[in-house]
Order: sequence, then C-alpha cells, then structure tokens
Amino acid sequence: MNNLGWLKIFILFVIVYALQMTVADLLSFFDIAPDFVIIFIVTVAIRRGPTAGCFWGFVAGFTQDVYAPIEWLGANTIAMTVLGFAVGQLEERFLSLNLPAKVGVLGLGFFVCDMIYFAITGLSKDVVTNLFLTKSLPECLYTMLIGGIFFYLDLGSKKKKHA
Amino acid sequence: MLRAIRFIVDLFTQRHGIVAFVFFLVLGLLMRQSPTPIRESIVSTAVSTLYFPAQRIVSAVGHYKALAEENEQLKEENARLRQETYHAREGLQELARLHTLVRFDDKWDFPIVTARVIGHNPGRFLTTMVINRGSEHGVKENMPVFSMNGLVGKISKASMTHSRVQLLVDPNLKLSVMDRRTRVVGFLESMDGVRLTALVPTHAGVHAGDTLVTSGLGGIFPKGIPVGTVKDVRKSDLDVMRQMEVEPFQDFSILEEVFVMEKEPDWLIKELLDE
Repeated sequence: MNNLGWLKIFILFVIVYALQMTVADLLSFFDIAPDFVIIFIVTVAIRRGPTAGCFWGFVAGFTQDVYAPIEWLGANTIAMTVLGFAVGQLEERFLSLNLPAKVGVLGLGFFVCDMIYFAITGLSKDVVTNLFLTKSLPECLYTMLIGGIFFYLDLGSKKKKHA
Repeated sequence: MLRAIRFIVDLFTQRHGIVAFVFFLVLGLLMRQSPTPIRESIVSTAVSTLYFPAQRIVSAVGHYKALAEENEQLKEENARLRQETYHAREGLQELARLHTLVRFDDKWDFPIVTARVIGHNPGRFLTTMVINRGSEHGVKENMPVFSMNGLVGKISKASMTHSRVQLLVDPNLKLSVMDRRTRVVGFLESMDGVRLTALVPTHAGVHAGDTLVTSGLGGIFPKGIPVGTVKDVRKSDLDVMRQMEVEPFQDFSILEEVFVMEKEPDWLIKELLDE
C-alpha cells in the first residue's frame, strides 16, 4: 500500500472515531448503538488485506484501551488485532465476499471480538451472559444493519487493493 | 538503509501478514501481562503525547464552532428579546441555575474547579473521560467529580494540564451510598461497566424510586452528593442483602462540563474502614 493509501485510511480512522463519539450516541436507542469502529476494521481488512487489517485493528483497539480501566489494558487491542487479521485472511485466501457475505463476516467479527474481549477481561459467566444478551447481540444486529448500508453504498463497486 | 526499510516492510506485508499479526498480537499480550505501573505509564504516555493533543484540537475546534453558533443565536435572541417580555423569565432561570451552583459550593465548603470534558472512551463501554483541568489548576487524584445533576466519579490520574476521571460505571470504582429515605448504608458498584448495582441490607426496606446519596464513608466522597435512584430491586445470592439496579442522575455520555471538588481523601477514615 502506498503512502497515500495509509493517509486515506488514517483520515477515515479519525472520521470513524469522530462518528463513534458523536453520531453513535444520536443513533442509539435503549442504550443500543452501532459500532463504527468494527465496521472500519472489517472494511479495511476486506479492502486492504490482513496486514492492514491487523495494524488498524491494533491502533483502534489501543485507542479504546487507553480510556478503559487500566486493568483491562490490551483486551481491546488483542481482540481487534485478531479481528482485522482474521477478516483479512478470510477475504484474501478463501472468498471474494459479496454483500451478504460481508455483512455476515461483520456480524461474526463483532461477535468474535466481543467474546475475545470478555474472555480477556475475565468477567464472570453471569455478567458475560447478561452483557451478551442485552448489549452484544442487539448491538451486533444494529452494526450489521449500518454496515450493510455502508457496504451497499461503497464497497460493492470498488476493487480490492491488498497491502 | 533503503534496503533495510524495504526488508522490514516486505517482512510485514508478505506471508499474508502473519509476521505483522504475530508482532501486534505479542505487543498486545505484553501490554496485557505487564505490571500495573507499566500499564499506567503506557496509558499516561499515550494520552499525554497522542490522544490528549488530538482531542484538545478537536474539542477546541468544536468549542469555537459552538461559540460561533452560540454567538449567532444570541444575537438573534437578543433582537427578539427586545420585543418580548420573555427576557425577564430567562434572567430568572439563569439566576436559579447559578443559585444551585452557589448552594453546591456552600454545602460542602470545599473549593470547586469547573472543567470541560474534552475526551472520552470512543468504545461502547464508557468508563473514563478526560477533562481539561489538571494539577496546575489544583486537581489531584481521588478528588470527587460531579455535575449539576449528581455524582460523576473521581479523578483517577491528574496530569499537569488534564486529568482522567474514573466514572461511576467503572467496575474498579466502589463507593459507599446511603438511602435518603431510610438512611441505611450500602455500597454501589458496576459489575459490567454498563449498569450500576447497589447492595443494601434486606431488612432496610429500600424500594424502587428511592434516592441514593453518598454516605461519606470511605473518605473520598463527602456525604450527601446525589448518586441516582433505585430502579429495580432483586434478591441477591446472600439472603441478608438486596441487589438493586440504580439509574444514575447523570447520563455520562452527554456530559460537557463537570465540577471537581478540591477535597483530599480522608485517609484516616479509609484506613479505619479497611481494617
């Protein structure tokens, strides 16, 4: 990937965080909000491959970890690095993803990311079950909906560029 | 030199990114396994050098944009107010708001520092935020933070120009609370980083709709700061205690301004309670 490509993704990264901190709150109902950051990582991994996927997953996860409880430092970083790499591998090695498959990968990625995060933070089983049912699952579906709209508007027409 | 850079770039990009993945994963695991002082240092360095300046710029741009918009609105409002008697009511409302703040200041007899929220966790689990006041403004660690609506949290790390606020929903923050009606004392925590849960004795008769305030025990928060209302009461694993969901008075996601109470922790009380 050339320098311009990295710059574009960096600008996109800043925009995504601005969206997450402003628009996500406006779009939320019953405390359920979409996760633009996961859409960003999945998008970058699909379009730029596993190297860029895990790099931007690392950056995005670390940014979230900085503002999380100190005891959980590294949890988001690891979860999102794995997510970026796994989605990049899936796209590069096995499949050329169409729109429904991309939305499916986004949902699966969201779910896997949360599970890794919950496992690393060491929350109790009851708390994890509760969080999964009341937060992860509805937010996963909401994110898939928003991601689906985004993929439909943007990704379908563009050619993939690997790192 | 160029060859060396090329070699490193190739190493990361070839083999389907496996080298890059292992590298970033090991970095993440090292962070995860490092002792708390090193984690503190990583977070402080990242916030001070990368995120705080960026968020300050974004916040400043937003602030000036808001000021410009506010200025326009005020001009329009000023013209309208010349023609309307609503002017007087507006003034009274502002007076009431300021009066509330003055009462807040008088009630606890501690100086108050007003701060603007300039950054918060961009993820889905909001547990920490950054304010634009630090040690040079008199802010120190463990000072209580509150808003006009109620308690927000406490200062977890004070740098020179900014501080991190540990919100009530942080699972590592536990505080002693008191039911305003029955005066029974319990404790409040968040087990999942999302909801607040209070644990109070079963016999106390606390029920939904009751107001919880800080008890003053623990030595950090003074007595009587409103925390939230009891939303739902349920039985806990222990028969003698009731677990209840608490709705905080302050919605943390929409905080723009907070007040830091310049109260140092009462360590004597804290040590006695710890014993």
